[in-house]
Amino acid sequence: MIASPETTNQGAAAPPPIERSLVVFDNVSRFYGEVLGVNRVTLAIPPGITSLVGPNGSGKTTLMNLMTGLVRPTRGDIKVRGVATDDPERLFRIVGYSTQFDSFPKGLTGFDFVYSFLRLFGDSHADCEARAWKAIERVNLAEPAKRRVAGYSKGMRQRIKLAQAIAHDPQVLVLDEPLNGLDPLVRAETIALFREFAAAGKHVIMSTHILHEVDMISDQVILLANGYVVAEGEISGVRSEISEQPIQVQVRCDRPSAMAARVFATDHVVEVKLHTDGGGLLIKTRDADKFYRLLNHIALEGISIESVTPADDNANSIYEYLIGGEEATR
Amino acid sequence: MNKKMHWGLWWAQIRSVIRLEMRKTFFAKRGLWVYLLALMPVVLFFADSANVLRDRDRRAELETTHPAKAEALRSIETGMTKDQVVAKVGEPYGQTTFTFTRRNESHSRTVYRYTDGANDYVFTFRDDELAQIRTNELRTIANDSLIFATVFQFFFLRLAIFFGCVGIFTNLFRGELLDKSLHFYLLAPIRREVLLVGKYLAGLIATTVIFTTSTALQILAMGWHLTGPSMTEFLRGPGWGQIGAYLGVTALACLGYGSVFLAAGLLFRNPIIPAAVVLLWESANPFLPAALKKISVIFYLQSMCPVVAKPADMPALAALLLSSAEATPAVWAIGGLIVVTLAVLALAARQARALEINYSAD
Repeated sequence: MIASPETTNQGAAAPPPIERSLVVFDNVSRFYGEVLGVNRVTLAIPPGITSLVGPNGSGKTTLMNLMTGLVRPTRGDIKVRGVATDDPERLFRIVGYSTQFDSFPKGLTGFDFVYSFLRLFGDSHADCEARAWKAIERVNLAEPAKRRVAGYSKGMRQRIKLAQAIAHDPQVLVLDEPLNGLDPLVRAETIALFREFAAAGKHVIMSTHILHEVDMISDQVILLANGYVVAEGEISGVRSEISEQPIQVQVRCDRPSAMAARVFATDHVVEVKLHTDGGGLLIKTRDADKFYRLLNHIALEGISIESVTPADDNANSIYEYLIGGEEATR
Repeated sequence: MNKKMHWGLWWAQIRSVIRLEMRKTFFAKRGLWVYLLALMPVVLFFADSANVLRDRDRRAELETTHPAKAEALRSIETGMTKDQVVAKVGEPYGQTTFTFTRRNESHSRTVYRYTDGANDYVFTFRDDELAQIRTNELRTIANDSLIFATVFQFFFLRLAIFFGCVGIFTNLFRGELLDKSLHFYLLAPIRREVLLVGKYLAGLIATTVIFTTSTALQILAMGWHLTGPSMTEFLRGPGWGQIGAYLGVTALACLGYGSVFLAAGLLFRNPIIPAAVVLLWESANPFLPAALKKISVIFYLQSMCPVVAKPADMPALAALLLSSAEATPAVWAIGGLIVVTLAVLALAARQARALEINYSAD
């Protein structure tokens, strides 16, 4: 991680070259009344895949909303590749944001959703139509694109939001829990898409509370707890700790008993609980990588997997484990 | 980007916002009541016209079975006896008699009904003496104009358009905050002011189409019973001017109230409260000092209405409300309304710039 500059060049028309390639938070705080969102955040995020990691309520979404201007800092200054966040006209030509909000303008099809968004850029119908289809095809949603979003599954809604975020080919892609609700194959495709973006020198900044995803995807990680940045750096530093912690995953599928038998045959799965409605199961594993590879095999063997959702109630304890020392000294 | 390119971009963005919003404002299920509100006076005017036509046919038919000359009917005076009346105009087509006892004396009240084919005459006798003459004229354009002006100013402007604008304009921002879908717009490279203008124009187009169509249909419904010659005479006279004025006032009402309720949707979480406050303010307009009167929408709208709605038998309080607008020239009234609208939109734009997405708080 590149250290943030001590001073910023706010008065100048063009930011210094280094700032044009960074997402910079300069002593940023945000309070919701008396409730703390984030406090005294100073960061300079370089291109590549950066994961914002922290338990629920740690400030991940606030940080992303701040860098996209959906909320304003109570104090401090934010620049996204040299662009101020209160200048939406310039900011959203370089930023795409897939939010956590699972709500869409009423009555739109998947295609309409992406196309209408592109029309707001002021571009022509033909141009927007072509770009909308390109983005939709990139997330493998071409077939249901003419169906209403209201009828989409959670995974499809996640993908159409991603299509909207990438449709204008942004330099900075901000993603709030982008892998939630995706099945294993789509998850792998989506991760490949993020890597492609990062390889092109762009920013991919995503939030997650699933540590094994961080390990798989990220170039760098920012750990948040209670609104503070408690650690930042390359992922290798936290990898060993992550692998020792069990994770829990909710799987919805057509044959949960068969899947339970299949996963129990492995040495890394430590616990399986069938859902009472007979439509899924909760799996606890000590090796996330092996587990997700296994899920891919199971999907190919014919068990229809509807969704895979991390149900990591233990996330808080993992964070406490990872960041407890720093919190203790605060 | 130079200025010309900015304007070109903003106009393209405004058109995109309008396209998106039109679908929502015109076809939203929750906006169905706005259509009902707009259609209500149309139905009333159609029903009234049907009634007038039926009444005209009835009078024409009675005139053939019970012929009575208009001149003879007009010569009847109070104090005449039943026999004298019958001798002059013949037997009535309708007759009703009530008998009652007062101070141990038996009395009667008799009503004779005549028609000359156009007007109805009602003669009321106390015992045998004609005590009262009432004439029900067949509806004229002058009557219709007054009825239309009353319904337009009392119901249509103050209630139908007012609440229609509450429903459509407050939802442009507040509705999307409640649906948690406003971020869709805020993540696009569009100035908040441009977004506001786009949404406002979409609301304005929707309300103007709905309510000017309603006004046109009301005029059509009202004129349905008019005969060809009287309609032609009306249109040659003040007709087209009045129709144009009513349509214009309707559109200007949407313009003015639209801006107020767009701002209300941005400034307040519950739009019912500002709507009630505005309704109170607009209703209190006649009692306000001259300077304050001008900070309202109804003041300018009433100034531009072509017919003063003030029927003779209107209650004093209602008459006060209707006659509140002083004679303001149309140019000043339109100018004043546009100034009020722009001032309110500027306030709304300021609020839109500061708008944050915090759905949990909304």
